[in-house]
Amino acid sequence: MASISSLPILPIFEEAVSSHERELMRYLLRTTGDREDALDLFQETWLRAYRAYPALKAGTALRPWLYRIAINLCRNRARDRTRRARVMVSDGHELAERAAVTGSNDGAIAIGSAIKALPPNQRRSLIMRKFDGLSYGEIGASLKCSPESARAHVYQALKKLKTVAE
Amino acid sequence: MNQTMSKAAVNQELGDERTLDSLIETAHRQMAPRLARVRRPPVRAGLVSSPLGRLVVAISEAGIALIYFLDVPRANAADAIAMLQWRFDVMEDQPVVAGVGEEIRHFMAGNLAALVTPVDLSLIESPFQHRVMERLRKVPAGAVISYQALAAASGAPHGSRAVGNTMASNPVPVYVPCHRVIRSDGSVGNYGGGVASKLRLLRVEGFQIGEDHRVAAGAVLGHQRTHIYCRPSCSAARRADPARMMIFADSARARSAGLRACRQCLPG
Repeated sequence: MASISSLPILPIFEEAVSSHERELMRYLLRTTGDREDALDLFQETWLRAYRAYPALKAGTALRPWLYRIAINLCRNRARDRTRRARVMVSDGHELAERAAVTGSNDGAIAIGSAIKALPPNQRRSLIMRKFDGLSYGEIGASLKCSPESARAHVYQALKKLKTVAE
Repeated sequence: MNQTMSKAAVNQELGDERTLDSLIETAHRQMAPRLARVRRPPVRAGLVSSPLGRLVVAISEAGIALIYFLDVPRANAADAIAMLQWRFDVMEDQPVVAGVGEEIRHFMAGNLAALVTPVDLSLIESPFQHRVMERLRKVPAGAVISYQALAAASGAPHGSRAVGNTMASNPVPVYVPCHRVIRSDGSVGNYGGGVASKLRLLRVEGFQIGEDHRVAAGAVLGHQRTHIYCRPSCSAARRADPARMMIFADSARARSAGLRACRQCLPG
């Protein structure tokens, strides 16, 4: 019988990954500083790695590949967090308490008060479009105007904010 | 809001391997339902030597998922394994697949009932190809069908080329008898394991095939619905729906497949 060792079969994923699980968890705890986040990211990393495992060529090192996935997921999470925080800060409704809590971020405060100063329809259109993600048709329907003028409201609002930001 | 741990707490966490292990355990427990949705079924794979050359064979819990001819030009074990791994969690297991080699050996020695292991066609994606394969599995040893007739029987009267592609991508050759599909003109056509292998398989199954690679004159036509077999020259056979016709090696094999002789052309 011919030798079997010539078949380029990847080792079973669970077995290959189990020796890296501790250091992965340790890494995630260190980067997030939060137990729940680390638990979450560990699962996400593990599942993504499992799904993509067949793409790995036999003989490729597993550890750096695993770390790459974990690092990317950490970055994604950090980016999403800051984006969400920024939206909350610049949203007119929450501006006051936000500013009190953070006590920093002057640019965001300036934009927040600029939003407050906008004409009502421009302000509403902008918030619905940029913060709540509604379509121009939906905005038009709620403001009793056409989608085209909803778009114009948002455009004018952004134009004013831009001068504030600069 | 997250309960952010203090740096000291994290360091304590890092220092304690048991906490780490229990965290990992929790993670595994929590992701179990998500993992179940994406989990690939296991398959055991190995290399088998057979009368048709070396084969990569993979067996899932449902049956044989892959038979791959290694001794043909451009064959590449790495390609076969890579394809398999997208659908299955592959594990090396020589003893399990060795049985397939045995079955093929007995089959090639003339025991046409030797191929008993079930097949798992989950490497086939398209519903049409599944239909073709199901139809093809009803063609018994000792009979052949044309690409055209198989296409018609699978609901695509003009799909003979598509049937050809389906045969070429057959994940489980020999067990799913794609060697029993020939051209409408009676020549045997091509084979993924090499034409020589196709000829050997068909000869084992009782066909007389000469140097011209054509199915010889002793063959009779069998109708799948009426279960009647005729001489190729029979006028009744010519009127019949070609999609229902198979070619049997000889009258005896048609009879053993449960067909009766035509009363018009009396094929013996």
